[in-house]
Amino acid sequence: MKKSFISRRAFKTLALNLVVWVFALAWMLPFIGLVAVSIQPYREVVVKGWVRVPDLSSLTLNNYIEALRNPLYDLATGYRNSVIVAFLSSLIPVVAAALTAYAFANLDFRLKALLFATILFIMMVPQQLTVVPLFLLYRNLGLYDTFQGIILLHSAWGIAWVTFFLRNYFRFIPRSLVEAARVDGASEITIFYKIILPLSIPALIASFIMQFTWVWNDLFYALVFLASRDKQVITQKVVMLKGEFHIDWGLLTAGSIISMSTPLILYVVFNKYFMRGVAAWGVKR
Amino acid sequence: MRLAKHLRPLVFLAPPFTLIAVFVIYPILATFYYSFYDKNTGLLSLNNYKEVLLSSNPLNMIIARSFSHTPPWGALVHNLVWVALHVPIVTFLGLIIAYLLKYHVRGSTIIKAILFLGIVIPPAVGGLIIRFMFEADIGIVPILFSYVGVESLSKTWTLYPQTALLALILGSVWLWLGFSVTVFAAAMETIPRSHIEAAKVFGASTWQIFYRIVAPQLKPAITVVVVMTLLWDLKIFDIVYASTGGGPGGSTTVLALVMYNYFARALDYYKSAAVAVILTLVVIPFIVLIIRRERG
Amino acid sequence: MTSAFLKLDRVTKRFRNVIAVDKASLDVGKGELLVLLGPSGCGKTTTLRIIAGLETPDEGRVYIDGVDVTDMEPGDRDVSMVFQDYALYPHMSVFDNIAFPLTVRRGKLRLSRRDIEERVLKVAKMLRIEELLDRKPPQLSGGQQQRVALARALVREPKVWLMDEPLSNLDALVRMQVRAELKRLQKDLGITMVYVTHDQIEALTLADRIAVMNKGRVLQVGSPKDVYENPEHVFVATFIGAPPMNILECKATEEILECPGFSRPLQPSTRGLQGKLYVGIRPEHIEIVSISEVTKEDVVEAKVYVVEPLGSEYIVNAVLEGEIVKVRTSRELLLSPGDTVYLKIDWSRASVFDFESGGSLGKLLKR
Repeated sequence: MKKSFISRRAFKTLALNLVVWVFALAWMLPFIGLVAVSIQPYREVVVKGWVRVPDLSSLTLNNYIEALRNPLYDLATGYRNSVIVAFLSSLIPVVAAALTAYAFANLDFRLKALLFATILFIMMVPQQLTVVPLFLLYRNLGLYDTFQGIILLHSAWGIAWVTFFLRNYFRFIPRSLVEAARVDGASEITIFYKIILPLSIPALIASFIMQFTWVWNDLFYALVFLASRDKQVITQKVVMLKGEFHIDWGLLTAGSIISMSTPLILYVVFNKYFMRGVAAWGVKR
Repeated sequence: MRLAKHLRPLVFLAPPFTLIAVFVIYPILATFYYSFYDKNTGLLSLNNYKEVLLSSNPLNMIIARSFSHTPPWGALVHNLVWVALHVPIVTFLGLIIAYLLKYHVRGSTIIKAILFLGIVIPPAVGGLIIRFMFEADIGIVPILFSYVGVESLSKTWTLYPQTALLALILGSVWLWLGFSVTVFAAAMETIPRSHIEAAKVFGASTWQIFYRIVAPQLKPAITVVVVMTLLWDLKIFDIVYASTGGGPGGSTTVLALVMYNYFARALDYYKSAAVAVILTLVVIPFIVLIIRRERG
Repeated sequence: MTSAFLKLDRVTKRFRNVIAVDKASLDVGKGELLVLLGPSGCGKTTTLRIIAGLETPDEGRVYIDGVDVTDMEPGDRDVSMVFQDYALYPHMSVFDNIAFPLTVRRGKLRLSRRDIEERVLKVAKMLRIEELLDRKPPQLSGGQQQRVALARALVREPKVWLMDEPLSNLDALVRMQVRAELKRLQKDLGITMVYVTHDQIEALTLADRIAVMNKGRVLQVGSPKDVYENPEHVFVATFIGAPPMNILECKATEEILECPGFSRPLQPSTRGLQGKLYVGIRPEHIEIVSISEVTKEDVVEAKVYVVEPLGSEYIVNAVLEGEIVKVRTSRELLLSPGDTVYLKIDWSRASVFDFESGGSLGKLLKR
């Protein structure tokens, strides 16, 4: 008998590759379905389903246009609002946290351990624990249903986790750089500004992007603190696309894709930063 | 003019910590206070907690009075069931996939990047996609079961109490898989190649290499994945709100959602505070675990 | 004493329960090069950092040019420091790195851009790195980075120049070159320098005076010659000199000094020693003699343990009743392990140390 054409080992590798790739493709099916349904009129999908090669002539962007423009849905405003809120809610914490992280990494002061534990604690506590009093406070201060209100709130939380993140990064900058600058007569602020910050640019970008994504994706705070149509963010609005009794999936899928477009683009462009951030959880330092 | 040495940290710390004090610390303390505030008597008592925990309204009950074999079982129980199913599946599946990706399969970067999408998108949209996945006639799960001929599972899962919670949990496995795979893949990078190669030379099978060499060295990573997933499952809100809103008939309620319902629907701020505290108490042991790990 | 430009007065520093620096006192004259020498963990780097102001002592005071700087900020003390890893800012050009001490205090020092440029160029020329001014530190070799670090330290024309093992990251060959240049530079500019190292050869070649430290204490301060020929402590005796001084555990009675493998009558001029003590003899003060030269008193019989060839010299390790004694000789003797050799010891050079404290009791023979 002739020897087997494919060795056992190669066969095993092939089989495993096949299994994993089929799994990956199956995993992507919901996304594929999402796109497929969003570019066809829903009545067609109801009749013919989407697990088929689409009829090219009936492809349309109507669902997207409806979702964005129709005043009932108004995703365009939601998109704009999300951009404003997410951007400012990222800029403020990154700047503030850089200062805090510098203090934790390079200065010595009494309450250091306690304050750091506070930060860790805040990072883990559920969002639900803070909203009731803030809601009442905001109403009294006129901050309810304003961008300022929610931006301040997001910034406060952001400062906590970005401090933690940046401080771990700062620790990798050799202490001798800071000490050499001290001996040369530089003030702490100068050291922070001229030496530490320039060397931390990757970390600053990473935390900005992650915070931006986090705020963009938030639903809970938005539900509590933003009420009027021209203030609501896109996550709120897209959820409202789902009707009580009847769901227009064409609309809903298009809306979903619009609302996840920004995080998706950020993810594609800044992919490294995302993966490194999460991967860091798995590697001990 | 130089600030005295021991005052210098203040310049760095005062602004951020002021923000945190006002927007995080004060509200946390106030929530605890509110949770004890009885709006009928104006006194502090455990009344809110009593009413919230003993409520038998399926839409906001935390623990059911009696348990049938289908939900609703109460929000807390739903959260626990969620943990009981989600955590093991996501951990094991994540381990196996990360292992295969690292040592046996090509194109691992792409696959990891794809799986990670689940974490990048807004969880609210994730909830909508899950709803989409389990919708009769257009969701891939019902379609699959209709091909195979199982009629009972080709309906919209999220409209029936028997299947709604399960649908959400399975959907969250789909969403969260990218996290566990990424963390495990990173941890596996730190295992020296020579360990694996020596084992291969000694004749160990794929499974043996996984079970006896790779997995034991991943204990810290496993702990991280388990605890983080657990925390996520206990705090879950967006997915449920967007897909089922807690229905049908309260069979998919979760603690965070019950808190929100007291707040936004019943407008009972004090009960909602009580639920928030209950949620926090459930979560605290695991927070302490993480803090300990970070300090050590 | 009075001409001390840099003075440490009983400085003590503790970290948790460990005493890093134990009542250290030093006097450094203006323009002097003092080396702090000792093994890892002896406190020399901590002492340097205290002078710089990066650590505050728990006890004691530090004076620079008559001023008590103990509580002053590092930046106000007018000192410069070169770190072991050079501490160059990787994102700034070499020019900006060197200019940094001047730019951060521009207002205070009233310098214009031109002034800074001039001074940087002057210092760069001195260290022959003018061509590197536009590059960034990661692009430079170790030796070049070192020069940049030196230039940055010099540009301020400081009162005291502090160095923390600056040559330890360099290749052996480069190290020797830089060592010579450094000494020349220091002499030409007349800057007071404190130099930390664990390498005794570096110390012996560079220093005007050496301060030998161990376990936080300053054991001896003296010129290289002093420290070599008249060690004040058995630790100093064994730390300086390669191969180290031979130390024998001996016992002295009224008339006789008993050492492992031999004994020797004590002369009247050396009486006063009693009990156990350490006797030290350097390897180059022992000679290997042939049988024909043997006379009773100062020749000792020993067995060869091993011979280490060192190019033009040999280190013969000989065994005296279980103790190994090293002998330095340039004679090419064909010796193998186990052979018998006869050692003639130059007793006029032998030192004696107290058994309990290790302190020096002077030479064995008084002239």
